Amino acid sequence: MSYKIPMGPYHPALEEPYKLDMICDGETVSDAKLHIGFNFRGIEHLAETRNYIQVIALMERVCGICSNIHTLTLCQAMEKLTGIEPPLRALYIRVVMAELERLHSHVLWAGIAAKLMGFKTMFMTCFALREKVMDVLQAISGNRVNYSMNRIGGVNRDIEDPLALLSMVEELEREMVHTIIPIFTTSTTATLRCAGIGILTNEKAISCGVVGPTARASGVPQDLRRAAPYAAYSEMEFDVPVEKAGDVRARLLVRALEIMQSCRILRQALTKMPSGEFNTGDGKIVFSTGTATSRVEAPRGEVVYSVSWKENSRNPARVHVRTPTFQNMPAIRWMVIGARLADTPLIQASIDPCYSCTDR
Amino acid sequence: MNLTIALARLLIFPGLLFAVPTAWFFLWVERKAVALMQQRIGPPFMQPFFDFIKLLGKTTPARSGVSGLLMKAWPLLAVSAAAGAVGLLPVLPLSGGFQGDLVLLLALMELPSICIIAAGFSSRSIFGEIGSAREAVLTVSYNVVFLLAVVSIAVSQHTFRLEALAQLPASPLRWLGVLAILVCLPAKLHINPFSLPNAEQEIYSGPMIEYAGPELAMWELSHGLEWVAAAGLVATLAVPHFAAGWIDSLLFVSLSFGIVLLLSVLAAATARLAIDTTARFYWRCALMFAGLAIASTLLMRLRA
Repeated sequence: MSYKIPMGPYHPALEEPYKLDMICDGETVSDAKLHIGFNFRGIEHLAETRNYIQVIALMERVCGICSNIHTLTLCQAMEKLTGIEPPLRALYIRVVMAELERLHSHVLWAGIAAKLMGFKTMFMTCFALREKVMDVLQAISGNRVNYSMNRIGGVNRDIEDPLALLSMVEELEREMVHTIIPIFTTSTTATLRCAGIGILTNEKAISCGVVGPTARASGVPQDLRRAAPYAAYSEMEFDVPVEKAGDVRARLLVRALEIMQSCRILRQALTKMPSGEFNTGDGKIVFSTGTATSRVEAPRGEVVYSVSWKENSRNPARVHVRTPTFQNMPAIRWMVIGARLADTPLIQASIDPCYSCTDR
Repeated sequence: MNLTIALARLLIFPGLLFAVPTAWFFLWVERKAVALMQQRIGPPFMQPFFDFIKLLGKTTPARSGVSGLLMKAWPLLAVSAAAGAVGLLPVLPLSGGFQGDLVLLLALMELPSICIIAAGFSSRSIFGEIGSAREAVLTVSYNVVFLLAVVSIAVSQHTFRLEALAQLPASPLRWLGVLAILVCLPAKLHINPFSLPNAEQEIYSGPMIEYAGPELAMWELSHGLEWVAAAGLVATLAVPHFAAGWIDSLLFVSLSFGIVLLLSVLAAATARLAIDTTARFYWRCALMFAGLAIASTLLMRLRA
């Protein structure tokens, strides 16, 4: 007997509204269709009505998890249009913020994945740890969600004593290594739920054009921090973890290893941070006519901003955003076909979807 | 057992009057224990009782296309069956009972599961139906081990009377049986790692999806009573009465409490398994237990 079962737009497994219509035979999914657009807020249009200072605050609100990445990408694009070069210290601070955000996003994802496996104790542990990452973010920026760190030509706030943050980062790393990573890699019930499900083969990953950890878990070694370094990433030493299995467990492992690499980058950025100015000051900003694009490796994958400007205008002519979830979500269909119904919440979550980014 | 005693056992002790507060207490112990393990504060002591009263005060909106009478009947039947099961437990020593009450107890303990299956299908919700189908598969899987264990204990001790079973000294087969029953309890009580029929993140709590108000309160109560009956059955089989009056009862209650704690720890430390893994697990258990039971019987024969 085949029947259609909707997951969403409001579902306990989803952080945000979207809908996955699944055709099932018994407990096996035979096909799926994805519907998005439940969280459309018209932010791209709104951006055209805001000036170059307001638009940064606006784009920060595209996403509640990777808010820093959006302003970073936008500011990089606007810096190309204005010809302003941020000072080196600002680039290091941007790396620190981006990596802390990656930590917090990955830990949050690990918590959600645990919840979807019915592993609520793990969910609580992950969220307690995420609080600590947010404490570090708050210590730097004064904010826990929308950090307001980026501006054209640098950052808004300095990290006055980078070495003082090292102990916090080391504590985070210790907890990751001692609690979260071992539970996910050794717990029998967790492994049983993750291994061999939601497989995205290497060929399918390339043909769907998936990005970020989803691609790296299917054996596609792409990472913009390595391939097209921005901020101060060219001066950092780190590995790009790649797994070949392409299942949910591989995606989990890739993220777990990325957490370790993030801690490694953080340590380098904090110890090597050069002295000097952290922005170019409050001088007049002049935009030239044209379109600039900027790409950044967000926690979920590649974020692209395309910003168009007309000379002498205070507002952008067009701000276009392409988020990693937009690239990754078509792959969900191929992942859930043939899967057990019980695994579909976990499979759809394994790409770490962010539909408020995608819908904007 | 005459009618008055039977009614007193069903309604007063260890039936409804004792069982209902115990059910709430066990529900609280489970929630509190899990909360403490998750570094949360957890609910106050009276919370399960407050939940029950609050739900009783709500009105259920009319549901189109669903038989209201059936929807009301299933939770009531489940509560009655679970209360009846608790009523049969030999909490007090020398409390009577009759030959074959173990069979009745097993039947009554099974009724709530059947009610859940029926309720899911009666609700005509796709999520309820999937939950019911899962519950059916789960019931078939764990009951093979569960019934095999209980029946082999009873046969090895030559009685189907709970009171007599409680007084007989334990044999190795009996310990094996108690262990097998303990393995089945998480599935019977729908807790992790076998919380499949009521998985919120997958099927919105399955058969319970269309329930609200007093009917949901009844389901909660029947769930609590199932905890009491299941923990009580294990306590009966695990600790033989030595006819020292209240000490036996105290031992019975504290052992039940220990079992609830044990199951809560298991629930907090595991993720939910999928249905095919669960079925495979229980059939393997059944095979293993059957093998061990036969071996132990043969050994006993040889010794005799």
